[in-house]
Amino acid sequence: MEINFEHGHGAHCESAVVRNLLNFYGVRLSEPMVLGLGAGIFFCHLPFFKVNGYAMTSFRYISGRIFSDVTKTLGIEYRKHSFKDPDEAMAKLDEVLLSGTPVGLRVGVYNLTYFPKEYRVHFNGHNLCVIGKEGDDYIISDPIGQNKNKLSSADLKKVRFAQGALPPKGSMYYITSMEHYKPLDTGMIEKSIIKTCYNMTHIPLPMFGAKGIAYLARRMRKWEKLFGKREAALNLAQIIRMLEEIGTGGAGFRFMYAAFLQEASVLLNRPALNQFSMDLTAVGDLWRDFSYNAARFFKQREPEGLTYNDLAVKLEVISARELDIFKRLENSIKRG
Amino acid sequence: MKVKDVPQEDPFVQPDRDVSLCGRLFAVDDDGKYQEVPSKGWSPRNDAVRFAWNNWGEKAGKVREKVLAGKYSPLAFHMARVRMTSGMLAAYTGFSRRQINKFCKPKNFASLDSGALSRLAEALYMSVEELISID
Repeated sequence: MEINFEHGHGAHCESAVVRNLLNFYGVRLSEPMVLGLGAGIFFCHLPFFKVNGYAMTSFRYISGRIFSDVTKTLGIEYRKHSFKDPDEAMAKLDEVLLSGTPVGLRVGVYNLTYFPKEYRVHFNGHNLCVIGKEGDDYIISDPIGQNKNKLSSADLKKVRFAQGALPPKGSMYYITSMEHYKPLDTGMIEKSIIKTCYNMTHIPLPMFGAKGIAYLARRMRKWEKLFGKREAALNLAQIIRMLEEIGTGGAGFRFMYAAFLQEASVLLNRPALNQFSMDLTAVGDLWRDFSYNAARFFKQREPEGLTYNDLAVKLEVISARELDIFKRLENSIKRG
Repeated sequence: MKVKDVPQEDPFVQPDRDVSLCGRLFAVDDDGKYQEVPSKGWSPRNDAVRFAWNNWGEKAGKVREKVLAGKYSPLAFHMARVRMTSGMLAAYTGFSRRQINKFCKPKNFASLDSGALSRLAEALYMSVEELISID
């Protein structure tokens, strides 16, 4: 059986899954709007928390928060489950699926057979949607793919119970009721923007928010001394992967959030937000420039006229500008 | 980023053509409006992915040499090959991390019983015969 589910290609796995799920229930939102409502943009660099052997750098909020924030904001009721026993997890998935409900899953990337081998790392933050079952195969709507695909139940069990940093433990989520659904209004958008600004500017630890980028810059200056040339370049590669690998909409969500601000400027009737959108676009271009320069470290071990210090300076500029944008944005929303 | 600047270069080989994995970027058109544009790939990103990938291969190769020299057990090579740390394999198998580190030594690996070997082999998605060889 297959649920009549409209598969849509998306930029980021989680926001696109949420968009497709909401679409199934008749709520039409764009992907940037979902990211914005879920306060999805963020930055953190945690040298003591390793993913794949390298310091965790994240450009989004914790996996799963976009779904819970957006549904709560819109007054939609949902359920989330995680399991210890894989067989129980698969049985529950079948039960919910047979009742005609599409189910979102958080999975590990390593055993997803349709990914190119170079992309298959032990990363447990990928989201996809299960929309049907045919014999032993599940029909998957993975928003990173332009088409739907199939995955055998053995493979699905593997990816749902992947191990490593932040194991998904078979976690699944689905919408249960639209009874108290409230249509999108201006208050919701303003609230989510303020929440985002809080995350980006007010967290009192140096690794989080826009100042976290400057923290990364300070760490980057020490890399060669701490790890040696090769490991330093690998650390840099990890950051470029998190910034640009399939699933961020370009420049670590900066372009997608700018698209949200532009959409919000029309909905809230505030032309000032469009200016913020253009400012954030300019920062996104700086991130692209950073990636472009960083890539030279992967081709030559010691690129001419480029050091980690130069890259760190670029990051410091980005940090200052993002801090400025989100502070001004918060003020402009609060003053109305 | 402008719509005309969205990179369309150098995609990876995809195992499943029907899925057609593809990035999607947000870019500004000439009127200053954001558009969604599918993007096949961008060389700086692909360089980073390839660099990390090649590095893993080289690391596994070095471990293999040490296995041949009798310093590590084949388990160490297979872990490096699938890029697992001892902590991850411990989570998959139910052994402790210390036990996994011990099994990476040839002496301790040789004394493992068939039950333990099949548990390790299962977690690495291979047969016991493959686990004890390094081909």
